[in-house]
Amino acid sequence: MTERANGIPNIYKHKNEVEDYVIEVKNLKKYYPVSSGLFAKVKANVKAVDDVSFNIKRGTTMGLVGESGCGKTTIGKTILKLTDKTEGKIFFEGIDIHELNRKELRKIRPKIQIIFQDPYSSLSPRMPVGEIIGEAVRDNKLISADKYDDYISQIMLDCGLQVYHKERYPHEFSGGQRQRICIARALALNPDFIVCDEPVSALDVSIQAQIINLLKELQDKYNLTYLFISHDLSVVEYISDTVGVMYLGNLVEYSDKETIFSNPLHPYTKALFSAIPVSDPEIKTERIILEGSIPSPANPPSGCKFHTRCNYCMDICKVEIPEMVEVENGHMTACHLYHKKQT
Amino acid sequence: MNSSNGRNEVPIDKVDSLESPNNLKEIKIDENIIESEANLTKDLSDVQRIKVLSPGMLVIKRFIRNQLAIIGLIITVFMFLFSFVGGLITPYGETEVFKYIGTMSKEYASVTLNEEFRYSVAENMEYNPNMHSNFILSRNKGENTFTYKDENYYISEVGKDFYKVFRLNSVAQITYIRGIMGVTPFADFNIDENLNELIKNALINGSFQFYYQNNFYVLTQNGRDYILGESVNVAFESLLITEPANPNTNLGYEFKYILEDTLRNSNLNTFELEGNRYELNEDDNMAVVYKVTSGGKEEYALISQLAIQPISQDVFLSIQFKEEMERAISDEKDMFIYPDEDGNDVEYTISRLNNVYTIKTETKTHLISMHEKPSYQHWLGTDKHGMDVLTRLMYGGRISLVIGFIVVLLETILGVIMGGIAGYFGKWIDMFIMRIVDVFNCIPFLPLMIIIGSVMDSLEVDPKIRIYYLMLILGIMSWPGIARMVRGQILSLREQEFMLAAEATGLSVSRRIFKHLIPNVIPQLIVLASLGLGGIILYESTLSFLGLGVKFPYASWGNIISGVTTAYEMTNFWFVWIPAGMLILLTVLGFNFVGDGLRDAFDPKMKR
Repeated sequence: MTERANGIPNIYKHKNEVEDYVIEVKNLKKYYPVSSGLFAKVKANVKAVDDVSFNIKRGTTMGLVGESGCGKTTIGKTILKLTDKTEGKIFFEGIDIHELNRKELRKIRPKIQIIFQDPYSSLSPRMPVGEIIGEAVRDNKLISADKYDDYISQIMLDCGLQVYHKERYPHEFSGGQRQRICIARALALNPDFIVCDEPVSALDVSIQAQIINLLKELQDKYNLTYLFISHDLSVVEYISDTVGVMYLGNLVEYSDKETIFSNPLHPYTKALFSAIPVSDPEIKTERIILEGSIPSPANPPSGCKFHTRCNYCMDICKVEIPEMVEVENGHMTACHLYHKKQT
Repeated sequence: MNSSNGRNEVPIDKVDSLESPNNLKEIKIDENIIESEANLTKDLSDVQRIKVLSPGMLVIKRFIRNQLAIIGLIITVFMFLFSFVGGLITPYGETEVFKYIGTMSKEYASVTLNEEFRYSVAENMEYNPNMHSNFILSRNKGENTFTYKDENYYISEVGKDFYKVFRLNSVAQITYIRGIMGVTPFADFNIDENLNELIKNALINGSFQFYYQNNFYVLTQNGRDYILGESVNVAFESLLITEPANPNTNLGYEFKYILEDTLRNSNLNTFELEGNRYELNEDDNMAVVYKVTSGGKEEYALISQLAIQPISQDVFLSIQFKEEMERAISDEKDMFIYPDEDGNDVEYTISRLNNVYTIKTETKTHLISMHEKPSYQHWLGTDKHGMDVLTRLMYGGRISLVIGFIVVLLETILGVIMGGIAGYFGKWIDMFIMRIVDVFNCIPFLPLMIIIGSVMDSLEVDPKIRIYYLMLILGIMSWPGIARMVRGQILSLREQEFMLAAEATGLSVSRRIFKHLIPNVIPQLIVLASLGLGGIILYESTLSFLGLGVKFPYASWGNIISGVTTAYEMTNFWFVWIPAGMLILLTVLGFNFVGDGLRDAFDPKMKR
């Protein structure tokens, strides 16, 4: 750890010393405009992310769960500025990365990394593995030339790869090994924060465990902060410190892992968690079956977006958008059920 | 494995290798990996490493296994050796014309019966073609005088077709009133008694012209007086032609006049001039003049009504030759033999057209060996320009291949730049460039080339510069295909996660383009380019065949074929066009095989 820190200029200082948040997302919105025809105007917006706020403390993992298409990946990509935001602010260690110019952005890029879902398309097929991992290290001049080889070898060993893999090409590796390469690529840049965008969902279960363990190991070793995006709740339960639940572009519930898994508040969360398979066939769990399918994000329902499928739907839900309220200590949810309790 | 946490990772790697779902390599190599990974737990030395093939090496391996591709490669290599090395080995040049020395019946001399008057001018006198034509006019009208530049000239017929032209010098004024005559000479002119008497007779008889002592006198009335004019010879006109025996001899007026005079006087065959004695030897149509010297007689001149003219300016026909010829003509023979300078007998043939006799002889000349059949010297014979076909094919191959490569290079560079910009930046730039591509795709190629070809013809563009223009036009016309492909590839690659990852790692834009995008486009580019090469060579041949591309004297396979245009040439001179056609066919086939082979080799799903 100390050895790695030596080679890298620590130019970005923390500004928020109170809580030491690595990532602060404030009222983030990301709309994709829908237009048809050659010169037609924007007809509608697909609200992929609609007013999402959360913070991630240093050294912790936030799990982000939700159905397909609820905007999890969009949040991840927006945090990395791989796509532009529509509104809101994203602070990385106190710096609003969407306000940086290109030069500053390039400097800060290595600090925030991403691991993609598909380990096959996320590696350039015409580049040897050593080059894939080390290319950006060299390009960003993170390490002196004489230490470079050893450094890359060390990272590869850390990620469970062999040094001789350097000269090989991605097509010679299995899915699990490829995901290790992806992790090594991210890790080589000595990031503070890694977005893990469903890193294990393309792998089979035995490999999933290895990768998850590897990620945890590396987190302990390098004090990494993760945003772990997944729709696999058991994986999220295993790796996360805090969990956010998303539905149709909104964060509906946010809490630390123990609280949310023991006491889910939002009806959607409840339904979601009831679907976690239990290994003991003797235990009967109550399954909450949601009616209908997820509405179109281009034309979301009024009021609470979940009201079309909610078992506890009230009149107010159809009209008023529920605000995020803190029900217990640090346990936030956006549901009119809990608004009532407070009043 | 050496990680400090002590987790046992060996089984993991093993499982990884075994499950490998998308393995592109052969099973055999997979086994190697498993074996080596199993060994790794024991030893991690360099010896244990298996040989790893890069994607490029894999492509080469797959390519080599493709028999058709290898055939194509062999053809291509052969074409290169044939064109570039062959051109160096061949002893002949690209535009070397082969000639042979052969005899050819060539016109040597022509003979005509002269029916035009020719004139000889007396010394210090002026007589020009205008005066000559005035003479002809007056003679035809039967007049004996004509006027030229206010001067009167008199014609006097001396013999048959022999006229003397003279003018008068006023020598005396004569007053004659009722039988009494007074003579007043001008200057120092002497009038003797005889002349006086003649003048008087003339005045009495009223005939104002008379001869005296070879001179001709004319009286012209001037008011009441008369002026006596004495003749001065200006020239003579005759149908006969006098030519010297020695080309350096200059025959004077006096000589010619006396000669003609003597010839017409049937009694005489000798005359004397300036102390020399000349003798005439008359024949039917001509007379030879011999100069009598102390040693004997020597040929001096020839007079004849025949105009004998050599065809070539530098040939001088001797009198003996002319005599021989004249004899042959008058005997109505159609040939005669006369020795040349070296004493060898040369055969001359005589042919007649109207009253022109043409003398022909076999002359040695350099002839171009056109359409020569294949032989040891010329393996594929010669073409209609007398050039070696095999050598032309070699040089033509050079031009065809070089044009092919340069055009493909040009279109690839243009296509990659335009397609790359369109694909990478997208939005309105993409829209704009793709519309340009559409416009280029709408331009009909052949009519455009015909127009440009004819424009270059009318501007008389140098054939060498024309080749450069051809390359440029072909390149400019063919980039849109490449641009489309590159754009499509980049559009799809841009959305791949490794491009997002590259962006996330903070790589520079240029590095992202050149290290991540371009290497992934290159396989398709190589395939398209090698397939395009054949097409370009075919295009170039077509254009050259139509006379729009490479022009003579530069050889190209297309214009070698275009040298054969008629059915006769096609059936008889097969050695000119069949080899060129075969070369085009083979080259295009070769490039297509290589291109197909490359495409299959680059496609990882292809397993053979």
